[in-house]
Amino acid sequence: MFSMASVSEEDQLDAESAKRVLRRAGRMLRPYRRQLRWSILLILLYTASQLAGPYLVKYGIDRGIKPGDRGALDLAVGLYLVVALLAFFVNRLQVVLVGRIGEGFLRDLRVRVFDHLQRLSMPFYDREKAGVIISRMTSDVDSLQELVQLGLLQFVSSALLIVISVVVLAVVSWQLMLICLIPLPLVVVASVKFQRDSNRAYLSVRDRIGSMLSTLQEGISGVRVIQAFAREDVEVGRFGRRNRTLYDAHMRSVKIQAWYLPVIEMAGLGTTALVVGVGGWMTTREIVTVGTIAFFVLSLSNLFEPVQMLSQLFNQVQSAGAALHKLFGLLDTPVEVGERPGAVDLPPSGPVRVEGVSFAYADGEPVLRDVDLAIAEGERLALVGPTGAGKSTLAKLIARLYDPTEGRITFGGLDLRDATLSSLRERITVVPQEGFLFNGTIRDNVRVAKRGATDVEVDAALEAIGVRERFSLLRDGLDTEVRERGSRLSAGEKQLVSLARAALADPALLVLDEATSSLDPGTEVLVEQALERLMHGRTVVVIAHRLSTSARADRVGVVDEGRLVEIGTHDDLVAAGGRYTALFDTWVRGLARA
Amino acid sequence: MPPPSSEGWQLIFAQLRAQRWGLAIGVAVGLVWTVGKVSAPKLVERAIDRGIEVGDGAAITRWALLIAVAGLISATFTGLRRYFAFREARWSEAELRDRLFAHLQRLHFSFHDEAQTGQLMSRANTDLQQVQNFIVLIPLTISNGVTVLAVTVILVRTNALLALLALGTLPLVNVLAKRFSSRLHPTMVAVQQESAELAGVVEETVSGVRVVKGFGAEPVQRERLRKEADDLYEVSMQSTVIRSRYWPALELLPNLGLVAVLGYGGHLVLDGRLGLGALVAFNAYVVLLIWPLRMLGMIVAQSQRAAASAQRVHEVLSTEPIVVDPARPVPLPPGGGEVRFEAVTFAYSGVLANAGGRVERTVLDGFDLIIAPGESVALVGATGSGKSTVAKLVPRFYDVDAGAVRIDGVDVRHAAVREVRKAVGLVFEETFLFSDTIAANIAFADPDAEPAAIERAARLAGAHEFICALPEGYGAEIGERGYSLSGGQRQRIAIARAILADPRVLILDDATSAVDPTKEHEIRDALAEVMIGRTTIVIAHRPATIALADRVVLVDGGAVAATGTHAELLATSERYREVLAAAAARDAERLGAGPCSDGDGGAATDPTGAGAVGGERFQAGLAD
Repeated sequence: MFSMASVSEEDQLDAESAKRVLRRAGRMLRPYRRQLRWSILLILLYTASQLAGPYLVKYGIDRGIKPGDRGALDLAVGLYLVVALLAFFVNRLQVVLVGRIGEGFLRDLRVRVFDHLQRLSMPFYDREKAGVIISRMTSDVDSLQELVQLGLLQFVSSALLIVISVVVLAVVSWQLMLICLIPLPLVVVASVKFQRDSNRAYLSVRDRIGSMLSTLQEGISGVRVIQAFAREDVEVGRFGRRNRTLYDAHMRSVKIQAWYLPVIEMAGLGTTALVVGVGGWMTTREIVTVGTIAFFVLSLSNLFEPVQMLSQLFNQVQSAGAALHKLFGLLDTPVEVGERPGAVDLPPSGPVRVEGVSFAYADGEPVLRDVDLAIAEGERLALVGPTGAGKSTLAKLIARLYDPTEGRITFGGLDLRDATLSSLRERITVVPQEGFLFNGTIRDNVRVAKRGATDVEVDAALEAIGVRERFSLLRDGLDTEVRERGSRLSAGEKQLVSLARAALADPALLVLDEATSSLDPGTEVLVEQALERLMHGRTVVVIAHRLSTSARADRVGVVDEGRLVEIGTHDDLVAAGGRYTALFDTWVRGLARA
Repeated sequence: MPPPSSEGWQLIFAQLRAQRWGLAIGVAVGLVWTVGKVSAPKLVERAIDRGIEVGDGAAITRWALLIAVAGLISATFTGLRRYFAFREARWSEAELRDRLFAHLQRLHFSFHDEAQTGQLMSRANTDLQQVQNFIVLIPLTISNGVTVLAVTVILVRTNALLALLALGTLPLVNVLAKRFSSRLHPTMVAVQQESAELAGVVEETVSGVRVVKGFGAEPVQRERLRKEADDLYEVSMQSTVIRSRYWPALELLPNLGLVAVLGYGGHLVLDGRLGLGALVAFNAYVVLLIWPLRMLGMIVAQSQRAAASAQRVHEVLSTEPIVVDPARPVPLPPGGGEVRFEAVTFAYSGVLANAGGRVERTVLDGFDLIIAPGESVALVGATGSGKSTVAKLVPRFYDVDAGAVRIDGVDVRHAAVREVRKAVGLVFEETFLFSDTIAANIAFADPDAEPAAIERAARLAGAHEFICALPEGYGAEIGERGYSLSGGQRQRIAIARAILADPRVLILDDATSAVDPTKEHEIRDALAEVMIGRTTIVIAHRPATIALADRVVLVDGGAVAATGTHAELLATSERYREVLAAAAARDAERLGAGPCSDGDGGAATDPTGAGAVGGERFQAGLAD
């Protein structure tokens, strides 16, 4: 939750990539074209209305009050009222419309990025840290969300307001406009410096919030150790220092605001003074009217407030741009284990053949070398061997979680790489070691294996492996919510859910990674029975960690240093006097002692 | 329904009192700002009416200069007022957070057993931010309030009716802003909630990617995410719709005031009852009041949230630590670490979420045991027998309900807590290391320990070798941003940490249970080394570990059921055999690295794996 470690320098974006990001975002906005056109019109109208107010005051003064024309004054007042009401309605519409476009865009982006994450294959997940992947969908999308909700509309309309104000002011009186430009260089220089400093301060605040929070978290979850070693004082001091550096970072950021805001305000009021002074002198020469001066005085806020708004929002816009850049980068990540064009469905069942397969993970060293293996339909094959020998890798290749570097693997005669991914996942299921649970009910957790499975189907799957009873003992039965990764369920119960998933998926080929961790004796037997029922009538490849499992298999393959060194029935291998024999002897000795 | 929050208010007021001088400066600075801000439109009025309208060039210059001065003052003080407001607010946030953290460090184990880390985190994070958001508004609001008052007075004195027309709609701004803030807040909380749910789906899908791929669960997860994204869209739009309702209205109201000023005020000028400059000034004043009034509305809503947050913070701060020093602590006499349990009775009391009420479960009932100085004792018992509890009472993590626990003759409740904790070293069942260097983790009990002492502890714990294999050695960072160590390596660092403290009594709470049985012997070797000549309590369930102790104590039903050597108990106690068998069943029948081991300890001749349960040390234990 507090993985803020993965932010920092990447939050800047150069002009070239900014352009690319904008173009691509534009393409993604295409479905919103009509709404976008309307919202641009509304923003323009709204901006015009903000200038119309002061202009009508000028009109009222110059045409009404000065010449004593009450009709003209009333006209100005009436128009002002109309403009104010119009602005009210336009504003309401534009907020909703821009919200709809922005939130819609975010929803599309979330769905697209997640879909792509689902398509990306295991090599990608091996390479990237889970925390970084998750932060794409959380902190990166969140910074876009923040912009959409709090800043985007303001950013666009502030920019527009500045441009339109300059034009209108120049049309009304170019001389006074030129005077307004005098403080401009100061404003620009200050804004650029402010933007740069505040960005740095913002990043440092964010960084220090992160480290304060992680110290806090450690202090709370490690409190028992701290108290056991009587280290409370040291930890309080340590936290106090972290907390203090956060305060300092906050204050630096406040100081930057504290000099910048006065500069802008001073520029605004200084300009007012100039307009009144110089303009006043100009009225005596009849170069400008009193109404024009009033117009300028009232409009100056339209010039300086947006500048201030823009530089405050600029950081938000910048980090949103950087976030978008990273997200597009993720969308561009190629899918390694993908579907070929013209892929066909796997046959419903058939033998598995591993032909001359070698495999290396991205970091080089070959894990499997030239493995040949044929598994008959309905056969149960156990793979044994030391950690790191390559038995899990072999199993993963058979399930096409990876593609072999050399050689090929076929199912029913079809190369797995020529099969559609949907048929592949339907025919082949991998049951991992740990029973990993998602948030939701037990039923939901079984259902992940088959989209749209009915309750009846889920119940049948649980029934098929004989574990329905077990879960109906729980207070809410199968509708029991598994909280926090199933902390309420025992390891064995989680296994059972995992097996029920496989039963629901009803695959022709089952790839099983046997659990190494000990289960509670109560569920152990149940897991054994469920496994037995699940394996019945299917082709099974099991990575065995217990000898009883490999003893029950039709054949056993011993994998060592990337090669299949022995293969045969349990009895044959025990008699053969090779690696498996040694393994078996150890086990028998161990049993005798226990 | 806001929770009762009077204590929350007290907490805030106490903090404000402590910072009264800083806040006073903030208010004073704000008042100077008000003067600058309020005088500017008045000066424009003078410039127009006394300069421009009459064509007096010198007067124009004079008033223009004064405007510039007023501008300089209000601008400078805009920055200062903000600075001081934030300084005080951030300071109170930091100080309350320090207090909260220090208090949490003092609170007893049973508090932490019940509290959730996430909850405590949000007390120190989001709740204090709410308080900060409120405090920052206080000095700002005071000067804003004075500004509103001053402008009202000026306008009413200029022309009461016009002032009424100009300002009449503005109180509504205040009301609307308050309602806006309190309507918007829940939707923003909902947006955060939905975001968190969506993040939950992403998080579990990415960390469970093996399961997702293995079961072909992609379509199901995709559907779940789509639903979460739709939900998030819905609540975000709700929030947007509320914004669209209130924000434009907040802009419209002052505009209506401006229309009134131009309409009625214009005619007043034509009638010669108002200067043109005053008209412009009226306009500027109405604009000036927009933000202060909005903020006045916001502070009402913000204060309610802050009080509710402060209330939650107060609840933690007002929890009194139970395990505290006695009024006159008795120093522990020098001694070899004799531990005595005298008829100890103990029950955990706590609120169990699923039980729905307070439950008390007696764990120890008349527990008697004397452990001689330097003796090592293994506590064995079934799950829930109370053996871990026995260990936790020695360093006084909890206080006994009846009876006493004595170290070298002194009741642990009569000594200073710190001294008791220093006398007892504990290796927890679950290893907790800090995100710091390995050296700092080992030197946890004594941050000033010499490198040589750290290395000695690491060697004793059998950790020196793998530490040296790391590129930075003892300086290597572990945890979130550093190396991730295996369970066995972490455990050995925890043992080194306990050794460095050099306690009279060492307690090893199932220190090997988290370790792969094939690696257990490494830890065991380390333990055997450490226990020499030190009072040690080992909680264990594997015979090989039990065999390390001089004496075995079978704990059953909260009392000592039998005591003797491993061999004696094995021969005489049926219950002992049952307990061991149940534990062995859990460990048994593993097909570990076996003959083709990766070389990290298990050669073909040294049967690890299944053999570990009854390895050579087990034999030695039998022979004792």
